[in-house]
Parts: sequence; C-alpha cells; structure tokens
Amino acid sequence: MRRVLAQCRKELLQFRRDRLTLGLAFLLPLLTLLIFGFAIRLETKVIPIVVQDFDRSPLSAAYTDRLFATDQFRPAPWRGDDPVADAIDRGLAKAAVIIPPEFSRRLKAGQPVEVQVLVDGTDTNNARVIRNGIQGTTAFFLSEKELLTNPPPVQALTRLWFNPGRKESLYIVPGVYAVVLWIFPSLLAAIAMVKEKDKGTILQVYASGIRAPELLLGKALAYLLVGLSMAVVVMGLGGLIFQLGFAGDPTPLLVGTTLYLAAAVLFGLLLGVRSANQNAAVQGVSLVGFLSALLLSGFIYPLSNIPPPLSLVSALIPARYFIVISRDAFVRGTGWVGVWLDVLMILALAALLYLVTRRSLGSLQLADGGGGGP
Amino acid sequence: MRIVWHGWRVLTASRLWALLRKEVQQILRDRQLIKLLIIPPTLQLLIYGFALNPEVHNLRLGVVDYAQVAASRELVSALTANRIFLASSYPRSEQELAGQVERGELTAGLVIPPNFSKRLATGDTARVQVFIDGVDANSAGIASGYIQQILRRFRPEAGVLPPTPPVRTQVRFLYNPGLTSSWFFVPGVIGLVLTLIATLVSAVTLVREKDSGTLEQLLMTPAGAWEILLAKILPLVVLLMGDVLLALGLGRLVFGVPIRGDPLLLLALSGLYLFVGIGVGIMLATVCRSQQQVMLTAFFITLPMVQTSGAIAPIESMPAFFQALSLLNPLRHYIAILRGLLLKGVGLEALWPHALALLVMATLLMAISVSRFRSQLS
Repeated sequence: MRRVLAQCRKELLQFRRDRLTLGLAFLLPLLTLLIFGFAIRLETKVIPIVVQDFDRSPLSAAYTDRLFATDQFRPAPWRGDDPVADAIDRGLAKAAVIIPPEFSRRLKAGQPVEVQVLVDGTDTNNARVIRNGIQGTTAFFLSEKELLTNPPPVQALTRLWFNPGRKESLYIVPGVYAVVLWIFPSLLAAIAMVKEKDKGTILQVYASGIRAPELLLGKALAYLLVGLSMAVVVMGLGGLIFQLGFAGDPTPLLVGTTLYLAAAVLFGLLLGVRSANQNAAVQGVSLVGFLSALLLSGFIYPLSNIPPPLSLVSALIPARYFIVISRDAFVRGTGWVGVWLDVLMILALAALLYLVTRRSLGSLQLADGGGGGP
Repeated sequence: MRIVWHGWRVLTASRLWALLRKEVQQILRDRQLIKLLIIPPTLQLLIYGFALNPEVHNLRLGVVDYAQVAASRELVSALTANRIFLASSYPRSEQELAGQVERGELTAGLVIPPNFSKRLATGDTARVQVFIDGVDANSAGIASGYIQQILRRFRPEAGVLPPTPPVRTQVRFLYNPGLTSSWFFVPGVIGLVLTLIATLVSAVTLVREKDSGTLEQLLMTPAGAWEILLAKILPLVVLLMGDVLLALGLGRLVFGVPIRGDPLLLLALSGLYLFVGIGVGIMLATVCRSQQQVMLTAFFITLPMVQTSGAIAPIESMPAFFQALSLLNPLRHYIAILRGLLLKGVGLEALWPHALALLVMATLLMAISVSRFRSQLS
C-alpha cells in the first residue's frame, strides 16, 4: 500500500512539473465541453427550402406564408427555374415545395390537389424531419382555413416529461461529460505509460522491486485523482454555464464518476502497456475510445437503433452506462432505483480492464526484464 | 523519349528524391503505421456504417386503456402499426405508467380515458393523453410529431385513412429514395477517418523527429525546408490515398453507396483534402514541444472539427454563430464534396465553392508550415 501511494505521488509530481501539459489537460476538456454544449443540436430549425408557386393566388401565398411562419423553415436564396438543379443540387436548399397552377381553383371547388415535395435525402434524419414538418404545416394550414372535410375525431394532449421546453442542452451536456471524462483521462494515462517505455525508465521501475500491481495501482490512482479534479472543474462550470443542477440524489453520480474515471484510466494504461510506440497508443485511444464513446454510447443517436451483433459491442462501452447515470443525476432524478445496474456494469468493466491490464503488464515484464519479475 | 529520360535522371539525382527515398524506407519499415492505415479505417467504416441510425423507431410505448373498447384497441394498433412505437407494457393505472416513464423504462405513455367511446359516439372530439420522455429532445419531438400525424388520420372503424384530400403532399426523397442511413454516414465516416489519421500521423511523426533531434540534423543538411517537408508529405499523401480507395471500395461493396459523380474528380479533391489534413498536423507539430502536447491538441482540434462538419449531426441544426464558424472547417467542405460526388452526382459546377475553400486552406496551411518550419532553425 505504501509503495502504491509513493508511486502515485511520484506520478503526480511528474505530471505537475510539465506546466503546459497540466494547463492543456484542464483547458482542453473545458473548451470541448463549451463547443459541444453549444454547437451540437440534433433538431434542425430554420431549414432553407424553396417554394415554387405556379398558382400565384392569395390562397397559395397564404400556404407559403404558413410554411415560413414557424422557425422550422426559411426561404432559400436561389435563382433559376429548376429548383432541383439550381437549389438542391448546390446545397442551397434542403427541400422544394412545388404548388401546382390550379391550387386555389381546385381547392375552392372541393377537388383534391397534389403538392409536390422534393426532399434532399442525403441527410436521412433531416429528410424525415422535413417531411413531417411540411405535412404537419399543411394539415395546420387546412384546419386554419377550415378546408378540412371531416376533422379528426381523436386528439392528443401531449406532455413532455423532464424537459418540457425540449431544451437540447439537457440531453447533450450530460453526454458531453461522459465523452470528455473518458477521452482525456485515458489519453493522459496512456501517454504516461508509453513515455515510461519510450524513455526506458520502465527498466528502472522493474529494477526498483515494485511489483506490477503496485505500479499499476499507483499510476491508476494518480490519474484517477487528476480525472476527479477534471470532473469537478468540467461539471462545475458546465452546471453554471448550462444551468444544470442536480435533479435528485447525487450519490449515484459520485460513485459512478469515480468508477467511470477508474475505468477510463485503466483503459489508457492498458493501451499504453500494449503499444510499442506513442503513435499506436494514440491511434488505439482514438479508434476505440473516442469514437465509440462518441458514437456507440447513445450520446447522439439512440442505442435502440443499433442492430443485434453490434449492440453487443456497445454493451462493452462504459460511456453508455455513465451517460445513463449522468442524465439521471442532472435531468431525471430517480436516484439509485433507476441506475444501480449501470453503476454495477461500470464496476464490472473497470474490474475487467484491471485484470487485462495486469496480465499484459505481467507478461511484458518477463519479456523485457529477462526474468527480473517479482 | 530522351527528354523523359533526362528528366528522370535529374529527378533521381535531386536532393528531393534522396529525401523521398529516405522517408519511404522509414515508412515501409514501420509495420505499425501500415497496420494503422488499414485496420482502423476498415473497422470504423464497418462498425459505424452498420450501427449508426438516426431513425426513430421501436420506441417503447405503455398503454393505460380505461375504455377497453374496440375503438381504443384500434387506436393502439394504429400507433404501433409502422414500428415507430412498440406496445411493450399495459400498466393498470396512470401512476404505474408514470413511474415507468420516469425510470426510463418507457419512452412514451398513452392514456385512453373512460369516456373515449362515448365521446366518439356523440361526435365530440375524444382526447387522449400522451406522455413522452423528453430527455432526448430530438427523439421526443419526432415521436410527438408521429403521434399527431397518426391521430390526424385515425378514424375509428376505418383505421388509418390514406392521407385524404383536399391537399395531398407527395413527398419524394432525392438522391437516397429509400433513406438508407448508411448512405448518410459512410461519406461522413470516410471524412472523419481521413481527418484523424492524416492529422495524427503527420503531427506525431514530425514531433517525434523533433523530440529525438533527427529533425535538427535534417535541417542542418543543405536541403531546404520545403524539400524536407515535401519529402515528408508526399509519401503520406500516397499512403492516405490508399485509405481513400479502401474506404470508397468498402462503401461501395458493403453498403452499396453509389459513386454518381466523376471518380477522378473525387480522387483529386480527396488528395487536396489530405494536404489540408496533413497541413493541420504539421502546424500542430511546429507549435507543440512534446508528443504529449501534440496529441492532446490534435484530439482537441479533431473533435470539434468532426462535430461541426455535418459528418454526424446536421449543420443546419447548429446555432447560427457555429454555422458561420464551420465555414472555416475544412472537413465540412470535404463532406459536402463527398456527398455531392457520391450521392448527388453533381460536378464542379455545384461544388466549386467547396473545392476553392479547400484549395485556399491547403495553400495557406502549407505556406505557414514551411515558414514556421524554417523559423525553427533559429
């Protein structure tokens, strides 16, 4: 235990001495939080669309106005007469609404009218949102002008829970915590481990008589502490800027964050032990850590959409469990009842990471140290 | 023929050629680099191409049906008919339903009141209550939109009517009629992978030479700064072009992503983008002192670059300030070029602003790198 603490102290001292890295280690997560927190939005608003009105009647003008009355669409600046080639192909507009010449006359005569809607399908999510938006606005236009032949008999009173204003930062920011607190601590730990190997000081470590688990725990503890202070800074400022307070019992978050950071640091150490040079270490983190924490954790797109064989992969990603914990702590507020399983899963993954790292380090010691192991 | 031969001899005798040979040999010796160029892009494309899907479906719906009549059951089956909602539980009371939504076990809840059938029979509007878990604001919005849409067309006994007159919106999706989500993500992931690899590989190789002092030895030789840099960049561009081909091939064979535009233009603009990516890496390497710093900053730069490029989340959904800022993001332009050439099948006549932006950025980055590189001598 004493040696673990000594190793941890040495590691922290080394970390503190490099002022620039120290600054970067705290500044970069914060900036990432700000950029992500402010810039990532999934719901598209103010989508540029083109309306081609062949009717030019008061009714078709009213329809056009209705389309632009909400903040969902805005008219796209374009010239020419082919909306596809001149606006959508160039990316100036995302959709074109084409109102036929006899729009007003047929509507007044009670005959059906077909409005053609051409949607840019390159962004599939957006395409659906645009279709729903245009259909919804059309229905609203009809009921407003009292053109509906038989009004719908069933209406829904919709209530959104937890997030009545549909503020997306409530969804994104707790997710950003998970991404930031995974990438940066694991990156720092990986670099520290690789540096030891690169500079050859690992041989001195072997010679010093410290045992592999002690070395590992010492390093892990040091970077866990770094990670925890990072978490305090990031969550504190994030809470202030995005006005995110605890929604319920904060203890699951406390325990969950500690375990999650431990998993992140161990993951970094594992990569450090496993790779022969820093280049590969970074690539390893970048491949497995960053992108999976970002893309397979439910941070942006719902997990329920991942098809079966790959959903197993996402089950191994600690970030997905931490996102549940963090969203619960800041938005839902159900406490231990809702998240105990996720805390346990992170604990299990951290333990697994420790065992794998311990094994990798042990075998490495024999190979490099020529039998100079414990 | 003699001119070509002469040119060849001049080239092979030049300093640049010697430097190029040195770099190529160094790269070929580095097995890990080769592995890095092949394995991560392949895995990333396959995993994200299959896994990412923004479509909202199979949302778990809880139903409390106080009416228990044929019309209320029809309503439930109308809501669950198209896989968007999945009736996964039938709690006995509203409280029970509320608890399940609260714990996140259900995404949405539907409460059908006892007077449902009576009101329908008398011709009044029957009101049902819908709870939606709003934590995921995007999915919640889409889900509530779908519910409204289905209810608008719901008629008891007739089920869901086809969209009825007077105005019918006939929607056609251009470029990707089936809205296959991998067609959206594959170009995005290609851009993302190239950015990460180009930036990291060039930054780290350069800083390592700086760290170990071999760069200073190179700078002391009569070779000019631009010769040293060019010799470093060219082999990387060639190798990364291999990645471009690999990624495009995978997209074509595995996901059936079409290449509707001019393939040569696609390769040329991809090459241009690689220069930008490598330029960013070299810039970082000239600014940073240690490998640790270069890696932290490389990550810091690539993360928002990916995020504000439209590769994963649409650009239009960002606040106006970030949308304007993203015009400075080279990846945004490259993604627009990729989607334009792969899916839309347009040419330079539509893509020239993006190509021009990349050209300007590549030139600027290279010029700054060379001058900063030179100033490191002193």
